Amino acid sequence: MKNPGWALMRGFWLSWLQYRSFLFILAFGWMIPPLIYMLVWMMVAGSQGIAGFSQGEFVAYYLVLILVNQITYAQTNWTVGDMIRVGEMNRILMRPIAPVYDPLASEIACKIIYLFFDVPLVIVLALILKPQFHIDFTEAALFIPALLAAWALRFLWGYWLALLAFWATKADALLVLQDTLVFLLGGQVAPVLLLPDWMGRLATALPFRYMVAFPVEILTGQVTGTAVLHGFLIQAGWLALAYILTMILWKNGVRRYGAVGG
Amino acid sequence: MRFFRLISQFIKVSFEEESAYRVNFAISLLTSLLTVGSAALSISVVFGQVDHVQGWTYASTLVVLGVYLIMNALRSLFINPGLESLAGMDGEVWTGKFDFSLLRPVDTQFMVTFRKWRLFSLIDLFFGVLVTGIAIYRMEASVSIGQILLFCLMICSGLAILYAILLFFSSLVFWSPAVMFTWVFNGILQLARYPLSMYPGWLRFILTWIVPVGIITTFPAQALTGELTVKVVILGIGLAVSLVILASCLFRRALRHYSSASS
Repeated sequence: MKNPGWALMRGFWLSWLQYRSFLFILAFGWMIPPLIYMLVWMMVAGSQGIAGFSQGEFVAYYLVLILVNQITYAQTNWTVGDMIRVGEMNRILMRPIAPVYDPLASEIACKIIYLFFDVPLVIVLALILKPQFHIDFTEAALFIPALLAAWALRFLWGYWLALLAFWATKADALLVLQDTLVFLLGGQVAPVLLLPDWMGRLATALPFRYMVAFPVEILTGQVTGTAVLHGFLIQAGWLALAYILTMILWKNGVRRYGAVGG
Repeated sequence: MRFFRLISQFIKVSFEEESAYRVNFAISLLTSLLTVGSAALSISVVFGQVDHVQGWTYASTLVVLGVYLIMNALRSLFINPGLESLAGMDGEVWTGKFDFSLLRPVDTQFMVTFRKWRLFSLIDLFFGVLVTGIAIYRMEASVSIGQILLFCLMICSGLAILYAILLFFSSLVFWSPAVMFTWVFNGILQLARYPLSMYPGWLRFILTWIVPVGIITTFPAQALTGELTVKVVILGIGLAVSLVILASCLFRRALRHYSSASS
């Protein structure tokens, strides 16, 4: 119980809980783009289906994607830059635990609140729209590590981009770029299998598919066999790179950091 | 005449405020490009799989996107900055600064609507018009002057509907902190980037009659694709006029309800 990380999380949980209606509205906003594409693809698929996808499979894919997108979305990355600019980093630097615990604790606390909103809504949608799942045990088992790695990758990738604020004040614009690429290549516009050739190849090579789409594809059986293994390898590679970049930027950034006094 | 002079003054002041932050111009340009690029690309992904959905082709869906971009640009050009400074977080209703706006010798609704301009949105407006233009070119159908005039008319009525809805929600702030309504609405408005008929029947009904965001983009686009019937034109304009009247009435009631903030 004396674990400081735990205490930090509890603190964030309690303070975020006050803003739950605010958080629910944010969660609602994030849910809309995948919902739009779910409805559009359902209409496109019609009763015969398209490119091997039936209506029910689109529903299954997008309902899982809504949850995965919410779980992996790293909203704290947006405040890192502000904290550096305003000088609020001081408070966190003074603590006797590693500074990265602060956003991590906030992330986990928030996510639990978001899921209180998302899960019931997804269940209701599932009852209305009748998704087609065919999940076997291995897929379900592989989904979990893929999801955790996706979350870590999306968080760390945004974190190193946000840390650029030590050097450039407008580094946040890069987060907009990341969000756009996740939207296009991360399986939101369409399952990666349905993307045009060149986009599909980009999606497989770049890190953005491995932030959202990859675990969803595993669970819905769109990647199988050796492709799963390849996916995990690429995901691990990008995760390692993001980790190294975060470490380097953090070390050099903190040395540069001079708080604004007041 | 006096109103036009005031509006041009408001624009001038806003321009002077914004030109102090020049880096923001580059950032705005970047985000606009990302928005337009990803939106157009996502439509082409869908139409990479099919030729037409519910009678909508790639080109005509692109028209809807263009209209959506134009609407959003016009909204953030003047409607949003004005209403946010009134009813947004830290807005005048919260802080009590609204007293000073009430004291100005012009109509308060006029003031609130036109006093703040975000001129960077002209970039978005440019892209919106560009996308619409490209889409019309790709439709390979001849568009008559009459259709373009009808298009402009439907854009105006769509904008009026959007304005009425936003004013309606802003007025509610006088009773309770209802900023949330606008945010929920923003989520729903995103649905307007696709034609109404791409959604299932129940949702189409909601987006036409209950939260009429579908009308805002689909009607002007139909003016260009030539599917607009006289009935729909009258419906659009009638809805716009009645919603603006309704929202203005609510705003006036809200003003009477305003009791300043304690000092």
